[in-house]
Amino acid sequence: MIRYVVKRLMMLVPVLFGVTLVSFSLLQIVPGDPAVLLAGEDANPEFIEAVRKEYGFDQPLHVQYLRFVARAVQGDFGISIRNREPVIRLLLQRFSFTVQLSFLSILIAAAIGLVAGVVSATRQYSLFDHASMVGALLGISMPIFWLGLLLMLVFSVHLRWFPAGGSGELRHLILPAIALGAASAAVIARMTRASMLEVIRQDYIRTARANGLRETVVIYKHALKNAMIPVITVFGLEFGYMLGGAVLTETVFSLPGVGRLMVEGIFQRDYAVVQGAMLLVATTFVLVNLLTDIAYALFDPKIRYE
Amino acid sequence: MKRTLLGATLVLAALLAFGPGAVQAQTVIYAAGADPDSLDPPNAESNPSEAVNRMIYENLVKFDAKLNLVPGLAERWEQAPDGLSWTFFLRKGVSFHDGTPFNAEAVKYFVERMLGPEKPSRAALYTPFVESVTVVDPYTVRMNLKTPFAFFLNNLAHSASGIGSPAAHKALGKDIARKPVGTGPFKFVEWVHGDHLTLARNDAYWGGKPKLEKIVIKTVKEDAARVMMLQSGDAHLAVRLPAEDIPRLEKDARLQLDSTETLRVLYVGFNCQKKPFSDVRVRQAFNLATDRDSIVRNLYRGRALPASNIVAPRTTGYVPLPAHPYDPEKAKKLLAEAGYPNGLKARFISPMGRYPKDYEMAQALQQQWKQAGIEVSLGTMEWAAYLAATRKPVDQTDVEIFLLGWAPSSAEARWILYPLYHSDQWVPKGNNRIFYANKEFDDYVDKLTKATVQAERDKHLKLAQEVLHREVPQIPILVTKETIGYTKKLKGVINSPLELTYFDQNTHLEK
Repeated sequence: MIRYVVKRLMMLVPVLFGVTLVSFSLLQIVPGDPAVLLAGEDANPEFIEAVRKEYGFDQPLHVQYLRFVARAVQGDFGISIRNREPVIRLLLQRFSFTVQLSFLSILIAAAIGLVAGVVSATRQYSLFDHASMVGALLGISMPIFWLGLLLMLVFSVHLRWFPAGGSGELRHLILPAIALGAASAAVIARMTRASMLEVIRQDYIRTARANGLRETVVIYKHALKNAMIPVITVFGLEFGYMLGGAVLTETVFSLPGVGRLMVEGIFQRDYAVVQGAMLLVATTFVLVNLLTDIAYALFDPKIRYE
Repeated sequence: MKRTLLGATLVLAALLAFGPGAVQAQTVIYAAGADPDSLDPPNAESNPSEAVNRMIYENLVKFDAKLNLVPGLAERWEQAPDGLSWTFFLRKGVSFHDGTPFNAEAVKYFVERMLGPEKPSRAALYTPFVESVTVVDPYTVRMNLKTPFAFFLNNLAHSASGIGSPAAHKALGKDIARKPVGTGPFKFVEWVHGDHLTLARNDAYWGGKPKLEKIVIKTVKEDAARVMMLQSGDAHLAVRLPAEDIPRLEKDARLQLDSTETLRVLYVGFNCQKKPFSDVRVRQAFNLATDRDSIVRNLYRGRALPASNIVAPRTTGYVPLPAHPYDPEKAKKLLAEAGYPNGLKARFISPMGRYPKDYEMAQALQQQWKQAGIEVSLGTMEWAAYLAATRKPVDQTDVEIFLLGWAPSSAEARWILYPLYHSDQWVPKGNNRIFYANKEFDDYVDKLTKATVQAERDKHLKLAQEVLHREVPQIPILVTKETIGYTKKLKGVINSPLELTYFDQNTHLEK
């Protein structure tokens, strides 16, 4: 197991190297000059030159790239051209926020998704089953920004239960977590239902029932545990995407997460920020995938990693 | 499973019970549209930064609400008869937020920074004009100019001329941009990028203790979210309100809306070195085919003013000129005279979302011009690419017609006429993106710049603006209005025509 984990972690190196190369090249291909952009409509050419020099944009591309990699290896991602803040500080600030939002969202998604999925499966074709599957369809189809604005209109403007924007306290996170988690809840519900329906028809479930076990034990202990493998896959993917930043949710609710940092960084040609954020997001995604794989072994003892 | 659900329900119920927390008595929450960038005035390039800087820093000379020049950190000043030196008599007993005293040395340090090797982004407010600075006595400072400059005081009142603590700059260098230290009514507390920026009252403010205790400026990019925060009471003030929401917000009895006519003119520029736009008759045809009133009425719902001059009415040095008529038939005739009896085709580009309704306006223009037989293809680019495209030198550019906005941040007309039209300001050196070159015009601008007598200055301002009215190297379309909204309890909000919303020591919240 440990050897497997180490091997997987080693694979991060080529992945991250690839990410730096791709993100650097893409930023170079896109038209627009960070120094000109910073100077705005009433640009002063001397200032533009000074900025190019200070941030090394006047150097040949390969020099710029190698310099970035050499510094990144030492944990120095440079400073933001916009506000001169070290990129590493911005990343940590934003990421800690994204982690909070992601945890809350995935918690909500898992709670709703698992319950709806299990109940739907055990009462197939019941009213609840139909209702929850229609709900799941809505959850997947509703655009996040629309759902977010709707939640804000109802719960902030009319009912005044939650604030309409801002961050810092748990109550600021409830509406965004619901908006962000809705689609994941729907996917998890559908996956749980499908997987449960398959497992419930297996022989060992009939055996368990025949042995006189209570229905709740049969469902939650014997069936659900075995039905979890595909659900965990979905869970891991959804969580991975959430940790990569949720730019729409963050924009609608004015939250300072990684998604907005990266997208605004692209629009502002803040190269250092974009590259740093790309590395962070890629690393997180790889790690979440690894954790998902490890989780398989916990739920299914038949799966072993040698 | 049941237990966790119960727990979650309890947590939710507890959260609901508290609701939006009660805010401190004199704390104001200000919803801004974008994050500031630099909090170092000489390097600040965006309105959100300048608005914050106006609260932290002060200038020798200030703009009042009507953009008149009034004493700031200088109590009075004198101009030498030859216009080559200005002497400023400073306010005594003022200190920076870090305790450093404000005096002639601090002013000298600031100006020398502008002139020096650091090359701040706004250095051009000083470098062409200022030769040196002399400390006459601890509270008197003299600036010696290379050449007389009619609008020198406007440059001193510019947001970029907010004077910071020399001690702080010596210690932090360029990083002063995120740890600002000025003399203003509010001092910097913290800045969480992309989230909020907090200012606190400067108890030792020379102009009296400010009434607001704390200002929290939140970055709320989404227009709809800013509107909802205002309606739900989560923000006391919101800027950049979208035009569609204004009629609805006006009906809300708790809110005060304030539309201010800005100095920004949205205009259409031509590459004046390229055929057919090098022909004034062709440019006139575009101008005559433009129905400004319809755009202002239908697209902006009256929240803009039709413009006949690239200089907006509230700008110092504005000269009223006759409105440009809308006459597509005459436009056709002019095109025929210029050798295009069957109309012409051209490429037109516009930004999207940079200015209020910019792309929608470009679409309207495209339709209007069609009436005169002008077919333009309309393209857009995101802002960084757009700026780069309109900054290419004359032998490389492929831009024919573009849409852009300009507002003179020093509030005077020369900051329009010189950078946008003078022949030594062609991009990439300056901001003459249209490659306009007119000796007569250049001469007027040079003369008004160096005028030491106001009558002389005003005469050439008028002549220069008349040339542009005749030759239309760019066609001014409209003057924008900036609408902000705030709770009626908030008194003394400053909504400057410079597109800056900020507070001073007298701003307060009524109980």
